[in-house]
Amino acid sequence: MTEHRIPKILVPRSREAEFTRRLFLTGVVGAGATLALAACAPDGANGGGSGSGGGSGTMRVYSWSGYDAPENVKGFAPGVAIDSYSSNEEMIAKLVAARGTSGYDIVIPTGVFVPQMAENQLLEKLDLSRLKNLGNVDAAFLGQAWDPDNTYTVPKYWGTTGFAYDTRVITRELVSWDDFIDAAKNEASGRTSLADDPGEICAILCFARGWDQSTQDEGELAKIRTFLVDELAQHISAFDSAPGSGAIPQGSQALVHTWNGEARRGIMASSEPDRWKWVLPTPDTNLWTDNWAIVKGAKNVDAAYEFIDYSLGLEQAVRNTEYVGYGTGIGAAEAQLAAADAPLLGMIFPSEEEKQRMYTGQINAAQQTRMEIVAEMKARAGA
Amino acid sequence: MTGTTRDRATNLSLRIFGILVLLFLFAPLLVILVYSFNSGRLLGAWEGFGVNAYQTAFSSPDILHAVGVSLRSSVVATLFATLLGSALGVAIGVRTGTVVSVIVGVLALVLVTPEIVQAVSLMPWLTSLSVDWGIAPLNDGILRLAIGHSLFATAVVSFLVRGRVRALDPALTEAAEDLYASRWNSFRQILLPQLAPAIGAGALMAFTLSLDNTIISAFVQTTGNTPWPVYVLSSLRSGLRPELAAMAAVMLIATLALLALAAAVLARGGSASSTARALVGSE
Amino acid sequence: MSRMARTRTSGRGPRGSSTLLAVPGGIWMLVFFIVPILVVVWYSFGQKPGLYGTHDNSVLSLDRYGEALSGAFLLTFANTLQIAVIGTLICVLIAVPFSYWLAVKVTPKWRYVVLALVLVPYWTNFLIRTLGWQILLAPEGPVTVLLRQLGLVDAAFSMLYTKGAVQLGVVYNYLPLMILPIFVAMERLTPALREASKDLGAGRWGTFRQVTLPLAAPGIVGGVVLVFIPLMGDYITAQVLGGAKGNMVGQMIAGQFQQGQNWALGSAMSVTLILITLLSVVLVGAVGIVCGAILRARRRLPIERTAAAATAARTGTEVPA
Repeated sequence: MTEHRIPKILVPRSREAEFTRRLFLTGVVGAGATLALAACAPDGANGGGSGSGGGSGTMRVYSWSGYDAPENVKGFAPGVAIDSYSSNEEMIAKLVAARGTSGYDIVIPTGVFVPQMAENQLLEKLDLSRLKNLGNVDAAFLGQAWDPDNTYTVPKYWGTTGFAYDTRVITRELVSWDDFIDAAKNEASGRTSLADDPGEICAILCFARGWDQSTQDEGELAKIRTFLVDELAQHISAFDSAPGSGAIPQGSQALVHTWNGEARRGIMASSEPDRWKWVLPTPDTNLWTDNWAIVKGAKNVDAAYEFIDYSLGLEQAVRNTEYVGYGTGIGAAEAQLAAADAPLLGMIFPSEEEKQRMYTGQINAAQQTRMEIVAEMKARAGA
Repeated sequence: MTGTTRDRATNLSLRIFGILVLLFLFAPLLVILVYSFNSGRLLGAWEGFGVNAYQTAFSSPDILHAVGVSLRSSVVATLFATLLGSALGVAIGVRTGTVVSVIVGVLALVLVTPEIVQAVSLMPWLTSLSVDWGIAPLNDGILRLAIGHSLFATAVVSFLVRGRVRALDPALTEAAEDLYASRWNSFRQILLPQLAPAIGAGALMAFTLSLDNTIISAFVQTTGNTPWPVYVLSSLRSGLRPELAAMAAVMLIATLALLALAAAVLARGGSASSTARALVGSE
Repeated sequence: MSRMARTRTSGRGPRGSSTLLAVPGGIWMLVFFIVPILVVVWYSFGQKPGLYGTHDNSVLSLDRYGEALSGAFLLTFANTLQIAVIGTLICVLIAVPFSYWLAVKVTPKWRYVVLALVLVPYWTNFLIRTLGWQILLAPEGPVTVLLRQLGLVDAAFSMLYTKGAVQLGVVYNYLPLMILPIFVAMERLTPALREASKDLGAGRWGTFRQVTLPLAAPGIVGGVVLVFIPLMGDYITAQVLGGAKGNMVGQMIAGQFQQGQNWALGSAMSVTLILITLLSVVLVGAVGIVCGAILRARRRLPIERTAAAATAARTGTEVPA
């Protein structure tokens, strides 16, 4: 018996020869099958056909999950390929790590992240004259605090943050952030998901307590850490930024912290929409805007402008809002949707009373702390 | 024998246990097969029977592209791993000494290094090589995936080939040299045929490992070159659709069909059981 | 013959040039494995400079290791180790009787068919297999709905996104890797060997303990290593089936690179993971050697008896059972 064969740690010494033959045959079969599949696949599959291929010519968008109506994507003649991320942090990490070789042309950062992204050379300046349809956007949505002259961005969607719950599991009425926390710790313990977004997760306690959602107060941050890591983490079953496409329609969670459009999409996809209830919690909640931006070093700048301009068109805006569930800031689209009595319109456009309770946060020095708190929370949730 | 009834009871419970384990192993595959016929929009929510998922799968450029990227990168990774690994295997098989020990140590380290560590170490490094050092080919998505997949596979091939080399009778090559065969001829005519099974096994291991690789791929992939496993992983986020199950089912059936084909070829002139034995490599 | 006329090539033989064969592979490993890992080790002594920086090594310290091994992160290491150890043990517990059944009880005609069946899941992408479990275990999935209809669980019950689901998923994904080497080892157990043991008065349990298990031992050690190493680094199975409950070290490291942009901390975690894995493998190896020695010592007895029996048969004398 030769004692030195193959990785000793991998194979019982005595029967390496047989093991090798087995591996061989396992491999033969696997390889054969896939090669056959390769032969069957049409050429276009490898060459990068419409809207997906690897050719350098395809314009690429790095966006939140399910952020464009499929008809809009299909209807854009030059073609567009879309990848998705769960949080601004993830998108920024990708751009920073790739150092200009990310291959993306468009990203959709949330407004508050724009100043630092611009400062760190991640975004190109926009030539607004190339966006003919920008005139469709209401003035109120332009020139916001994070980008006063729309140097780097133009608005895509605005929305808010709340939660949806399965009324079969949670039979009482939930209205506030305190109710959310209480339900997560009780009926929905182990079946509660949070948006995979450090800012939003840390803001839960801030909203409930009436603190600034972007607080830099060390005492408050310490309380947020204790709350999330020691109190809430053990009850959380998922960190999910796209519950609309899985968790809500499949009923795999009972209490879902998410954004209004995402919740609406999930409820509409559910076979029993009445089971779910959407709450825009009291006392305060978030008001955010996600924006079109062109990535520094983008290879397909012309197509990028074309796609942004196309998406700002009235028809496209109506489709997007109907499908994705967020307002676009294009008033005419809003009116058209109201006239057509689009489903769950109230979830897209909060009432004036509700808008009074929303405000926008900011990115400050405490953002790093927030990311660390959530990383620690995730570790604790799994322990 | 007093133990007959007890023997029977033991045998029966062992058989039941064995069948339960097989059921356990097949349960999720059956689920995927069944749900690939879900006519609904979401994989997990059964709405009705239909084959539209298969049509969608084969008309989805994204899915076909992902499978194509996987196959192409696996072929390149297999080439790297087989060539480099075979050469390494011969070298560490015939020589001994400090250098060989170091190489063996490194290869063993490759085998025990968690995949995620290789992934996070390769990602910034490949970017650095292409951006700072200007090595443009490293921007190529297929090449990056192939490099990432080749490391573990190279180590596997090396050890397989080394084992084979060590098992060879040194008299063989010596005899060849005594017959004045040139070193190349001795290698080609004596050594290579002897090593072929190990190299072949290694190559196919490399191919399957590469095809299944998810973690390293997720980190080293470039935009627009997403391989199939990473495509499936990212679909988790945006909702799983039945066409993923359909493509998986097609890939499984194709694999099994080839297995059956191989069995049929081997079965010519052999009994059923010897065919089966040959197929799992235990003839 | 021209060959006879040729002078013999330099006496070094094929061994002389063989070192050169290691050069391409060696360079490959140096460039794409050793250097990147060393870079990660280097990062691990640094820090995160600011929100948009990934790493900074201007001040070197071991602080990141302190962070990686403190509080919640330490819990994740413990959690991962727990899932990996329990998962490996369950695999052994299933694979030993299964392989025994397959190698001993199943007729040779069917043996390899069953073995091929065991390998079939391995030909499917592991993520797809895991997704099959996700469907099965979902609150609206077949298993839960059945249990609910039988009145065994209430509406709030969900198996998905629990630690139990993670444990089940890893056992499932790595079981074939455990069965294969144990089966290969047990297959050596010929009927003659068992008959001999039985003839010598050993009971079924005695035969299993003194003959079967010692033969299977190398297979078990091989399987343990084969299952444990990838399990320590795997996080996708856990992520798919465990959600937030399936947080493993791999995911924590990935998060530091993909979201946190804290390469220093992620690197320190990576180095720690390598060390823990290496240590565990050494430990398993040591335990394997010790167990093997003990089992070999025990096995000697029946084998000596078998030899005695053979001698006795030849000489026609009786051997006391």
